[in-house]
Amino acid sequence: MSEVGILGQALAEHADRLMPCVHCGFCLPACPTYVRLGDEADSPRGRLHLMGAVVEGRLDPASDAFRVHIDRCLGCRACEPVCPSGVEYGALLEVARDVAARARPPALPTRLLLRIFGSRPGRALFLGVGAFLRNTGLASLGARALPGWGPFRSARFGLAMLASTERWEGLRWIRATEGQEAPEDPAPPTTGPRVALLTGCVQEGLYDRVNQATARVLEANGCQVVAMPGGGCCGALHAHGGDLETARRLARTEVRRFLDADVDHVVVNAAGCGATMKEYDELLGGDPAESDAGALARRVRDVNELLAELGPRTGAPVPCRVAVDHPCHLLHAQGIRQAPLAVLKAVPGAEVRLVEDADECCGGAGIYGITHPELGGRIGADKVRSVRATECEVVATANPGCMMQIGAGLRLQGAPEGVMHPVELLDVSYRRAGFYDEERDG
Amino acid sequence: MGPDHVVADPARLLVYESDGLTQYRQAPLAVVLPGTTDELVEVVRAVHGEGIPVVPRGAGTGLSGGALPVEGSVVVGTARLNRILALDPENRLARVQPGVVNSRLGVEARRHGLHYAPDPSSQSACTLGGNVAENSGGPHCLKYGVTSRYISGLTVVLGGGAVVELGGAARDPATGLDLVGLFVGSEGCFGIATEIEVRLLPLPGGVRTLLGIFASVEDAARAVTGIVAQGLLPAALEIMDGASIRAVEASVYAAGYPTDAGAALVVEFDGTDAGLDEDVARAVACCREAGATDVQHTDDEGQRTRLWQGRKKAFGAMGRIAPDLLVQDATVPRTRLPEVLEEIMAIGARYDLHVANVFHAGDGNLHPKILFDRSDADELARVERASREMMQVCVDAGGTITGEHGVGVDKQKYMRLVHGEEELAAMSAVGGAFDPRGLFNPGKVLPEPEPA
Ligand SMILES: Cc1cc2nc3c(=O)[nH]c(=O)nc-3n(C[C@H](O)[C@H](O)[C@H](O)COP(=O)(O)OP(=O)(O)OC[C@H]3O[C@@H](n4cnc5c(N)ncnc54)[C@H](O)[C@@H]3O)c2cc1C
Ligand code: SF4
Ligand code: SF4
Repeated sequence: MSEVGILGQALAEHADRLMPCVHCGFCLPACPTYVRLGDEADSPRGRLHLMGAVVEGRLDPASDAFRVHIDRCLGCRACEPVCPSGVEYGALLEVARDVAARARPPALPTRLLLRIFGSRPGRALFLGVGAFLRNTGLASLGARALPGWGPFRSARFGLAMLASTERWEGLRWIRATEGQEAPEDPAPPTTGPRVALLTGCVQEGLYDRVNQATARVLEANGCQVVAMPGGGCCGALHAHGGDLETARRLARTEVRRFLDADVDHVVVNAAGCGATMKEYDELLGGDPAESDAGALARRVRDVNELLAELGPRTGAPVPCRVAVDHPCHLLHAQGIRQAPLAVLKAVPGAEVRLVEDADECCGGAGIYGITHPELGGRIGADKVRSVRATECEVVATANPGCMMQIGAGLRLQGAPEGVMHPVELLDVSYRRAGFYDEERDG
Repeated sequence: MGPDHVVADPARLLVYESDGLTQYRQAPLAVVLPGTTDELVEVVRAVHGEGIPVVPRGAGTGLSGGALPVEGSVVVGTARLNRILALDPENRLARVQPGVVNSRLGVEARRHGLHYAPDPSSQSACTLGGNVAENSGGPHCLKYGVTSRYISGLTVVLGGGAVVELGGAARDPATGLDLVGLFVGSEGCFGIATEIEVRLLPLPGGVRTLLGIFASVEDAARAVTGIVAQGLLPAALEIMDGASIRAVEASVYAAGYPTDAGAALVVEFDGTDAGLDEDVARAVACCREAGATDVQHTDDEGQRTRLWQGRKKAFGAMGRIAPDLLVQDATVPRTRLPEVLEEIMAIGARYDLHVANVFHAGDGNLHPKILFDRSDADELARVERASREMMQVCVDAGGTITGEHGVGVDKQKYMRLVHGEEELAAMSAVGGAFDPRGLFNPGKVLPEPEPA
């Protein structure tokens, strides 16, 4: 069989179940790339058509057309919930990316990143350098100093992303006014589920404070949080980036690690990771580890999802205006829309405003802002505009990629708004309520 | 125009080889995506200057091959011409570019307490340019009428790039020939609409939706006849058969239609609140009389939306059942619905084809959906023959070969079932007046001349 045939075969194996596309076009207006570019090759239906052409042997997977348009997909999966035919686009995209990458190596930044994140020391070193650049203020300086054109554009954006992961101190100055006391708290819950937290790679390296906040908030809601060694990576980055082999390797490690921990739930606070872990059975399909993968996948919960299920305790007032944006991998991939709002509802005084077009991708999509500076920049700029139009002090979104993307966009505009994970805000509220006070809790 | 907006790479062109009807495939020479009327004019001038035909394309949701590229043509897409230019609530008018998606106009109008009435099931994706070209209808067109009633003016790019203004509310009442009326429904064969002026309506004060469940499609169709005979004027009267219900309920658009039903009838009344409940009561009685096994009604907006979403996505949901799907479109006099349906199902059975039905029952507009697999040549041939017989049945019952999806390439072969040679010649002459060189969407709609 020719090379084209073999790769087409890889896609064809999934065709029956994944490709009942009837070409109705209902997915077109949901797609951020089609809406902006107007080319059907950049629409979900068009991309599926290209995949179909590879399967039929009419299109070479090494061709520019396949590479460019599959690559230009954000992987936001906004096309899935609108598809009446139930085409599993996200799963197909992963296979298509893998096929494209095998036919022809992907662009250098993608290759480098996947390489670095594929190994534990690589991740530690990369994120360590990132944290160093951020903590010393070099990232922020670079983002301000570099020009926003040509080859510097991507570097500038990358540095702004790094810089934006700093803790936002804006809330510190906001105090409850007279008469806004914390509500009486009924006895704190004691018997919650036993949970383990996926500390994640990027999350652990750059957003450790979100992990800390997640653990505290869960404990305050009665969960027994089992300590796990860090340093793992769920493989989402690789699965989305066209390296299924590495993704599977990483996934198998996580499946074993978390099953051994014997917990009720694996809690994830990065929507992209949660989406991948919930689909581990798909990723490891045909693998002897498959039944284990399914068992683990069923235990995975997004932190917002679990808190909403438990009915989060109400903390002390934090009067502020919060803009909420839905991460694609929470909304479209996991179907979670209300849970982050339920989490923020437990913060008295927080006035929640949904960002207009909150259902649309922010352009983060991993390192899209770096690999596709032009289009990613446009999508990001639209999101920043909608966020700013809410006239809020802070924007809450439950995914590190989105936090960085929106944060970088705001920063490059010199905008004052901060970015937080919803549980961070709840954490502030709990701290003010004294929930973490040893004497009171203990 | 940048390279992103002019597509000539044959691999990239593959995605334009079909519209919503996948039986036909033909890639164009190139695709151009202009961003302004000026660019559009430039493109038409240049392409026609070379004697090359132009095929207009909106969202490519058409089901008759209207936007299917003609061999050796350039496709001109309107996806980037997607701005709402003006919305004038006082005069209840909007002026839009052709690439604006139908439901987006609806959302904007709603902010002003208005709505755009024609609501094709594809409204979440199809463009107003496509709606104009196909004179599209939708479930609520039973009471409100189809697209042509709502188009008050057009700016059109004609052959060679000439731009003309047709109609316009300011010039109402129109003097002379109704050229807007001629252009609406011209299926991309007359020119490209580049600005569209539409009439908006105030949102109805109240809405009541009723769902009747029946053991068979024939029972549901009898309920429809009863409702209309009562002199009631519902906004919509829609039937889905059991196969369609089950496909919808298995999809993300599941709305709670009972999956063991033979048919579901959705009846909607709207207007000033007073009197709606009485209408509903009478319609409920008609359903019961026709043998409904259950009748529910709702004025809950959420449930209403779900019912409609389910109904409107029924076609797409069929993708779960078979790889390919032909959505037929024909009309019959409403009173003949039960018998025609029976015959259609019999034809399906005779050719060993799986047929499901969803239709605008109030208008007698049928949409038999034939499920098949294109890789099976024998099945494909049976689909073709069954389609022809179904068309013949509808025409014999006093109906016609398309209710709203247009003729395109798919129905050309049936045109002579309903039109005589003189009528076809007149159509051709009108087309010639708009497009003398025949360079817009040539070879579509009108059948090949009869061999002498
Ligand atoms: C699931 C589904 C449900 C549907 N339901 C309905 C329904 O309920 N009622 C109904 O009427 N139709 C329905 N349709 C058919 C289709 O959606 C309509 O015909 C729609 O109007 C096509 O719009 P479009 O933007 O996709 O046009 P396209 O398919 O791109 O083009 C349709 C025709 O319009 C021409 N055209 C497009 N833009 C212009 C322009 N600016 N100027 C001149 N010509 C132009 C094209 O050349 C072509 O001939 C349905 C289709 C699907 C897939
Ligand atoms: S909505 Fe689904 S079936 Fe329709 S074109 Fe898109 S992917 Fe295909
Ligand atoms: S995943 Fe997002 S960008 Fe990719 S095709 Fe679907 S909607 Fe478009």
